[in-house]
Amino acid sequence: MSKERIQISPDLFDIMPAEYQDLVRRATYGKEDRGWKDIGMAKELIEEHSLCAGCPESMAFRYILASLPNPEDTVMVGSTGCTSLVFPHVAVHNIHSLFGNQNAVASGLKRALSLRFPGKIKDVVVLAGDGATVDIGLDMTLQAWFRQEKFTTICFDNELYANTGGQESGMMRKGFVAKMAPAGKMFEKVRLPEIARESGCHYVVNCTVSKPNLVEKVIKNAVYVAREIGPTYVQLYTPCILEIGKNSMEGLQEMRDAERPTERFAYKEYISDQAKELLAEIAAKEKEKKAAAKKQLAGKEA
Amino acid sequence: MATSSVIGKKNKMGQTYTDPWYMMHEAPRTPSFFTGSEVIKEAIRRASCDVMIAYPITPQSEAAALIGELFVEGYVGDYFRGESEFAVMSECAGAAFGGARVFTTTAGPGTMRAMENFPMWAGARLPIQMIVTCRGINSPLSIQPDTLEISYLLNTGMLVWHAETAQDFFDWILIGYLVAEEPDVHLPLALCCDGFFVTHTKDVVQLTPADMCLPPYDPYRSPVPCMDMECPPVRMMRDPFVMKSNYISYATHASWQQEVWAAVERSRKHTIRWLDGLIEVDNGDADILIVSSGTAVSQGREAKALLEEEGIDVGIVKIKTLRPWPGEEIREATKHAKHIIVPEFNIIGWLAREIRATIPNSDRVFAGPHVGGGMTMPPEIIAADIKALLGIKTAALAGRGS
Amino acid sequence: MIKRRLNIRMSGLGGQGAVTAAHVLAMAAARDGKYAISNPFFGAEKRMAPAESYCRIGITRIYDRGELVYPDVIEVFHPQVITMGKSYTMPFYSGIKENGIVIINSDVPLLSDEDVKRLNDLNVAVFYIKGTQLALEIAGTELSTNMAMIGSVAGITKCVTLEALDGALQERFGKKFVASGGTATLDEAIKKKFAKKEMLLKKNLETVTRSYEIAAEWAEKNRVELALAAA
Repeated sequence: MSKERIQISPDLFDIMPAEYQDLVRRATYGKEDRGWKDIGMAKELIEEHSLCAGCPESMAFRYILASLPNPEDTVMVGSTGCTSLVFPHVAVHNIHSLFGNQNAVASGLKRALSLRFPGKIKDVVVLAGDGATVDIGLDMTLQAWFRQEKFTTICFDNELYANTGGQESGMMRKGFVAKMAPAGKMFEKVRLPEIARESGCHYVVNCTVSKPNLVEKVIKNAVYVAREIGPTYVQLYTPCILEIGKNSMEGLQEMRDAERPTERFAYKEYISDQAKELLAEIAAKEKEKKAAAKKQLAGKEA
Repeated sequence: MATSSVIGKKNKMGQTYTDPWYMMHEAPRTPSFFTGSEVIKEAIRRASCDVMIAYPITPQSEAAALIGELFVEGYVGDYFRGESEFAVMSECAGAAFGGARVFTTTAGPGTMRAMENFPMWAGARLPIQMIVTCRGINSPLSIQPDTLEISYLLNTGMLVWHAETAQDFFDWILIGYLVAEEPDVHLPLALCCDGFFVTHTKDVVQLTPADMCLPPYDPYRSPVPCMDMECPPVRMMRDPFVMKSNYISYATHASWQQEVWAAVERSRKHTIRWLDGLIEVDNGDADILIVSSGTAVSQGREAKALLEEEGIDVGIVKIKTLRPWPGEEIREATKHAKHIIVPEFNIIGWLAREIRATIPNSDRVFAGPHVGGGMTMPPEIIAADIKALLGIKTAALAGRGS
Repeated sequence: MIKRRLNIRMSGLGGQGAVTAAHVLAMAAARDGKYAISNPFFGAEKRMAPAESYCRIGITRIYDRGELVYPDVIEVFHPQVITMGKSYTMPFYSGIKENGIVIINSDVPLLSDEDVKRLNDLNVAVFYIKGTQLALEIAGTELSTNMAMIGSVAGITKCVTLEALDGALQERFGKKFVASGGTATLDEAIKKKFAKKEMLLKKNLETVTRSYEIAAEWAEKNRVELALAAA
């Protein structure tokens, strides 16, 4: 989709909702260097969120949507959970169908789009919670990776079932006391990043969303690698402040605490050789472009 | 309309996109001695199908594998084996959301495993076609014919058709897309048959020319947006429907369910045109009518012939579509019948229940004979039940081992 | 006896080609302008386990589907069907119609006195054919036993012509044919037995023809008549 597709007929402009007018005038579809810095400066692709006040998931949503390299040609697939409460506010096509089947839906979707738009970029990005990704949907998560389906899987890991009220999930820490784990969780947090690597993902990152510039870089890399090479996996800590007994203001600190070197969400990445090559190529091109722009600017000034 | 503009053009396999009415009704036909599985393949060869997703389960495995050959030949756009029926149906959903014409096949426990997807397909208005080659779903494990699984599909919002023969299968697979993809319908279709009886039996089927195919699917005729970012993204709502218990949410869900069922109803006129009616009546003036669907109709036809030899006049009502349900047609066809016999390949008798709920004086309905567990229904036992109903003494049928 | 429909049940063991035999017979009947359908018993395929197939031939359209509960003809492909009870029905002739025919592939009689009496009461004729021996002698492989069984039922009932059988064999083995599971494996096995496809077809047809002649002679001598009405 190019930005022309969303243009409003001039005669009807004034009767369209203000948010849609904003979307046409100030959204960053098609902007080549779009990123987290556009937040607050341009029309965001997420209108408003319907999550708890201060929920880190809302931050993650904004950073991700601001960072998608081609939102005008990106279709997102969600699942049931807190994320599914936000998707209706998102200005890219997004699919919710069932709980846990997101990677299966994305597999079919990506194949249909590749078939219908050969040679054209059509990115598919899955975004689901840890229950959907790891517990109920694990089979489909892994099988999509085994099949080398070319899309990005993002997991919002809040280490429990938030939308249903804080039950134990496979991603929960061992020993944590939660609903359905009345004596504390009996087994270790599932090591999905390692499993992702072994299952054929070409780019795997485990981190928090405390640093927007980091999130931007990771999301862009994950989408580029998925587009050209194969499956990628990004696991982001988006703590559920409600269920771990924190206040609205404390989400950011919780993430910072969890990303310390010895903690669960210390930055961790795996990049396949093929992906490394691609990312180096992209970085070189970026550098070239910047240098050229600088030269041009210098030329103008001279 | 984009679909009519391609008529006469050739696809990459050299097939000509053909006017569907001409292709189905006027084009020359070639008789071929095929199994039902091979017939499914031949129909898909002509269906301009974009994506087929397969999973092994008896008795549909052969058909699902044969379509893989079509993919290698180039007749199907993409094809792969999914990881389970639940996943396959979700993969089908994804492909349909992305604007593809989608085909899949399943059976018995596979249908049950995938069940959560079907109301989702209908609610998302995805015109996926799924072949259901019915088999037992009970424990202990059974792979034999049994139509119980159809009853679970009846209230999903899908169109549900029940083919009697391989010929029905061939024609209805192609017609199925035409009806399911109509903008005022745009619903998934479960095209059912009795597994093995149809899939594994060799019979003569009249095929349309292999160099003619259906026009491709046009996703922009869909009543809901195709998820390909080629049309504006809509911010669907201020609060997601699931979010709160509020009256807007209630009204939205209720009206959408009504709309799905209204779409099922709207499919009626297209289906009547393409299938030449939702039911087929043979010798409808008889006092005794055998009313059924699928292979039970075939066995009923044989029973009719047996009884004719004894001077007993019997008529046949074949129900082609279960959703939409041909209530008015059945009421009309059975108006003067004194006895309505409903043989079924399941022990529950769900079809007899539906018929009883449809017609006046429902005590005319005799639910049976029922065959469960996979055995065939010898015409002799239908005839024996009818004679018993009429108070005619019959010699006991030779039992097994007698 | 002249019938409008001939129902043939073939009871064998997995690997003997009973499914293929029913298919070939039905294909031949269709070539003769008759109505015919064939189907296997619906179940897991296993080597040396009971395997059944069914062929219905008629002069009007056939709707009847599934296993044949009340056959006119039963063909027993292997002695173990009787001696070891490797049959889907006990006894193997359960459901046979009056005036029917039982054809058994065996060098020696296998029926108990009780079986003989029961079949006599139903006026069922019993024909023994040394099918496997014929296959070995003519085709050089016991895999052609099913050909002998096709020939014998055709020879007695004349339900199909030898010309049509020749055509059906060409169609079945002469070109790419879609077979599933065990049948596909058998196809490969029998193809390996013959250097050339033409040889396979020739030897199989010879086996069919010889058993046809033997069976026809037996039927004539014993005045066994079970045939299809003219269409």
